[in-house]
Amino acid sequence: MKEVVRNVFIKSDNTIFTRSKYGSHYGEKVSEGFREWIPWRSKLAAMILKGYRINFKGNEKVLYLGAATGTTLSHLADIIDEGIIYAVEYAAKPFEKLLELVKERKNIIPLLADASKPWLYSGIVEKVDFIYQDIAQPNQIEILEENVRFFLKKGGEFLIMVKARSIDSVADPREVFDRVRRSLSKKFEVLASDSLEPYHRDHIFIHAKA
Amino acid sequence: MKWKVWFGTIENEEIEVSKNLIESFEKASNDEPLPFNLFEYGLKVFQNEKEYYRKLRQVAIESTEKKVEKEIKREDKYAIALVKALEEVEEAINLLKEKLEDLSEIKEDELVKDFKEKIKSLEGLLERIEKEIDDVMKKISPNVTEIAGSKIAAKLLERAGSFEKLISLPASKIQIIGAEKSLYKALARMRRGKTAKIPKHGVIFIHPFIRTLPKSKRGKMARFLAAKIAIAAKIDYFRGEVEEELYEAVRKRYEELRRK
Repeated sequence: MKEVVRNVFIKSDNTIFTRSKYGSHYGEKVSEGFREWIPWRSKLAAMILKGYRINFKGNEKVLYLGAATGTTLSHLADIIDEGIIYAVEYAAKPFEKLLELVKERKNIIPLLADASKPWLYSGIVEKVDFIYQDIAQPNQIEILEENVRFFLKKGGEFLIMVKARSIDSVADPREVFDRVRRSLSKKFEVLASDSLEPYHRDHIFIHAKA
Repeated sequence: MKWKVWFGTIENEEIEVSKNLIESFEKASNDEPLPFNLFEYGLKVFQNEKEYYRKLRQVAIESTEKKVEKEIKREDKYAIALVKALEEVEEAINLLKEKLEDLSEIKEDELVKDFKEKIKSLEGLLERIEKEIDDVMKKISPNVTEIAGSKIAAKLLERAGSFEKLISLPASKIQIIGAEKSLYKALARMRRGKTAKIPKHGVIFIHPFIRTLPKSKRGKMARFLAAKIAIAAKIDYFRGEVEEELYEAVRKRYEELRRK
């Protein structure tokens, strides 16, 4: 087993785990202090399995947009074990499940809020080192940029999961991705970007620096 | 500039600590990004980093828990009320348009102009109701909304009566919701030994994937769509996460039928 990112391990059979003292959150296997990370359920796991790395130190302040029921968030909370994650989710239903996670983990601050209106939580979230965004909205890029403007420290990084069909449901996904990459690279330094196949169809990630 | 933060207000570097943290937490909205790091001011109020986050987390959980509970209870009733309002307004507009036609055929005058204005303002109202339905449905039922559209999703919910009832319906029932009258008529005819046509679709008929197919294929599409809606509703109710494969499957089936 090899540690590829802080607290993230890949076994020789290409399964991925995070070191965790907590139990199962979404049905994943837990054994001897490690939680299995299912790449089909989590885009961040898929990205790491494809060989991409993010250099987390573990004490970052992170803003997480689109936490849903907390599948990926639970693993990110294992990674950022000495930091703080502000988890934003708009829908009440998944938040029920998310709250279970939040109550278990001391490093997550929950926010039931609309990520497209960052001003509504501008007096709650501090300046952060990292923004993670996974929301399938046609204006997800604008949403990201607004949150960057409000909260990201200078030199901070972000990781965004882009879903082609939610941005433009008729255009060729590759065209959509090119468009998004081009518009982001005007304002930010793109560090890495790739598709998330075969784990997630018509999705790419973009890792960039402000 | 007075900045509203979760533990109070900050003005000219002066901090005024809120007496009710839940209240200030929920009102911590500012039009522009804070020109300072909130955390540094927080350390002046709370003894240390640990205490700052402990308090913030406690307030955030308490506030969120209450909001989640309230929203879940309220939103499906709200969506149902909105659908009812939508249908009433639609009917009113149609009625007024009919009368307007009658009137304008006879005479074109001031009254006719007033009529037109009234209709226009009602149409504006209709748009606002539709937008609200869209917002609410995306929130409480993202998967059904994704595959069926917010209007159909809301209408299904309204006909079912509540979210709990909707998820207990079989796909075959979802397929004909809104066409009960012709279904029961057909069934009654069949009981008497006569031939009858059973309806293929109810409110889901307005879905573009059904409407745009030739008649002979609409039944197949309606059956498939209803089956996926039934699954989507259950995911929405129990899990609430978006399942991307569902829409993909519906779209594929549509393309298949269209090409055949």
